[in-house]
Amino acid sequence: MSQDQTEILQRALKRERAARKAAEKILEEKSRELYFTTQKLELLLDEKSTQLEGVFENILDAYVVMDLEGNFIKFNEAATKLFGYDIARDQVNVINLIYKEDVSYAMTSFLELQNKGFFKNYEARVYTKSKEVKWVHINASVIYDKDKIPVAAQGVVRDITEQKISEEKLIESENRLATLILNLDSGIVLEDENREIVLTNNKFCELFKINAKPTDLLGMDCTAASEQNKILFKDPEGFIDRMRAIDIDKKTVLGDDLEMLDGKILERNYMPIKIGDNYKGYLWTFKDVTLNRTYRKSLEAQKQKYYNIIANMNLGMVELNNNDEILMVNQSFEKMSGYTEAEVIGKNARTLFSTEGGEELLKEEREKRQKGLSNSYEIKAVCKTGKTRHWLVSGAPNYNIDGEIIGSIGIHLDITETKNLEVQKEKLLEKLERSNDELQEYAHIVSHDLKSPLRSLHALVSWLKEDNQGKLDTVSLQNFGLIETTLEKMEQLITDVLNYSSVGADNAVKVDVDLNSMVSQLISILYIPEHIEIKSLHVLPNIQGDKTKLQQLFQNLISNSVKFIDKECGSIIIDVEDLKSHYKFSIQDNGIGIDKKYHDKIFKIFHSLKKSKDSSGIGLSIVKKIVNLHDGEIWLDSEPNVGTTFYFTLKK
Amino acid sequence: MNKKLKILLIEDDMIEVMKLNRTISTLKLDHKIIEANNGEEALEILEQKDDLPDIILLDLNMPKINGIEFLNILKKDSVLKYIPTIILSTSNNQKDLLECYKTGVAGYVIKPLKYEDYVSKIEKLLAYWSINELIVV
Repeated sequence: MSQDQTEILQRALKRERAARKAAEKILEEKSRELYFTTQKLELLLDEKSTQLEGVFENILDAYVVMDLEGNFIKFNEAATKLFGYDIARDQVNVINLIYKEDVSYAMTSFLELQNKGFFKNYEARVYTKSKEVKWVHINASVIYDKDKIPVAAQGVVRDITEQKISEEKLIESENRLATLILNLDSGIVLEDENREIVLTNNKFCELFKINAKPTDLLGMDCTAASEQNKILFKDPEGFIDRMRAIDIDKKTVLGDDLEMLDGKILERNYMPIKIGDNYKGYLWTFKDVTLNRTYRKSLEAQKQKYYNIIANMNLGMVELNNNDEILMVNQSFEKMSGYTEAEVIGKNARTLFSTEGGEELLKEEREKRQKGLSNSYEIKAVCKTGKTRHWLVSGAPNYNIDGEIIGSIGIHLDITETKNLEVQKEKLLEKLERSNDELQEYAHIVSHDLKSPLRSLHALVSWLKEDNQGKLDTVSLQNFGLIETTLEKMEQLITDVLNYSSVGADNAVKVDVDLNSMVSQLISILYIPEHIEIKSLHVLPNIQGDKTKLQQLFQNLISNSVKFIDKECGSIIIDVEDLKSHYKFSIQDNGIGIDKKYHDKIFKIFHSLKKSKDSSGIGLSIVKKIVNLHDGEIWLDSEPNVGTTFYFTLKK
Repeated sequence: MNKKLKILLIEDDMIEVMKLNRTISTLKLDHKIIEANNGEEALEILEQKDDLPDIILLDLNMPKINGIEFLNILKKDSVLKYIPTIILSTSNNQKDLLECYKTGVAGYVIKPLKYEDYVSKIEKLLAYWSINELIVV
């Protein structure tokens, strides 16, 4: 080894030593530094831990720590207050706190905590110690030891019960409002400043025949939609133009009427919604007012109709106030009275047309109106021409809206012609009555004049017989007998003619007649041969009638039957049947009968079928007349050689 | 004892007059008949107030003054109205009957067709009046 080498080695060693010393020194310094730093850090950590502890203890929200089994090991003051448990004394597990309906949500969140190490914004209900339910908001995380092993979990719990309640209330009222709008009877469209639909409802869809839910329309462009909808209206371009004009103007518009093709009428309102100076949206409302408008229209039409009736009817109409002053007359009244409306307005109707005594009647009528009574009456009125006309007036009180009588309305009909006819008719009737009386009188006089000579003849014949007793032969005596018979027949004829003319002339008062006793009395008076039996099957009723004539009726029919019975055993059966307004009587005999072809003829005067001493041919004509006088009819059933039944009805 | 009556018969028909006369004579009655052919004649006869009839038999149907008119005149007279007046008439007209009784008659007899019936009626009528007390003026 060379010197040089040695020297080099020695210098190298020296440098090494020096370097080690320097490094040691640095290390020593660093160690010292490190020591101090550690000391400082520990101090700092302690400080921070205390600080944190203080924060947890004092934060407003509840802070809880639980072990991995869910047992709470730490509650801060707020947690104690929230849950009501004192952790130092009570053993509490998280399970005790979970609200039963939220269990599955709680489990999910717990799993999330296990897997991810935390969960956030857990909102659920919990039970407190006193079983009160509270809404809480929880953020939770897992606590690990230094070896990253989970040891516990911590959570910050905020009581959000109050908040929840008010949220629910808000939702509720929002729902209510939404339902209200949805079901409103008006169609509603709320659009934003860009004319996009923000809100609409069922009625709108219905009115515009949109086959969609209101929610489907949200966000739609109104300008485009109205282009589609315009075809629903009678004037599509007008609809669009007006809409544009409103949109440009941006001022409230109320009560626009839109006529739709199907006849509906919509009322459109427009209201801009402004916040501050900015337009935030526009509210369109549409309402179906078809009914209202039609009502109004039909009301107008009705009014027009009645106005026309009043103007054109052929009845004069006058409206009066409470002082009988004329307020209004129609054209017909102008024609009737001869006055123009201008001439009579304000005039007193009572004095203007009145005739002698008429004013009094009008005054009475006016008093009736004041009592609210309506009625009709006839007046004589003097027209402008001075002629007197007869008017039939129907007057009624006129009321105002408050129901007070403000006058009267009279409808006038000129009945002069009718009235004249009536007077004429009365005169005619009078005349007829007089001539009837005269005729009656005449019949009596004639019959008297005809009977007198017969009586004289009879007396003379009697005297001839008396004065020539014993001198006359049998033939002469027979002839005298024939003269007497003929005289009797002649007298009977005259009597019958007189009777016939009397029936219907006498206006005897109708009285209650007991037919049953009348007929039995009649039978006892009449001559009934021994071989004829008269039977009544039912009790005869009482009817309203002329007793004398009814007696004559039964007498003629019964005598008739008696007269024509040719059988050995005669039978007459009287019966009655109750019809609604009449009684139907029948008188049946087993006489010679009447051939069908004579059935009508026999009721005519002088149509006796069998000329005989006691048959003048007037009896049945009288019968028919009497039946007719009692609103009845007479007919018969008959078979020659078997018998005849007469039927007749008499009004009850 | 039956009274002897003084009867005023007012009748325009000759045969009717004969009938009454013959009836009285046939029945052998002792009544006195005064005949008047019409109302005017009767009124003349009735002028003689000292010789008034007991009863009057009056026909209704007469020319000039008819029966009812005559009756009215009679009833207006303060004296004559007391004489019972019996109507002898052909007419059974209710109106006539009513009118007569209203004015005041003592009877109303219908003249029958048969003479025998007439005799019988007159007999009864006269018998009745002959037993009645009458006012003597």
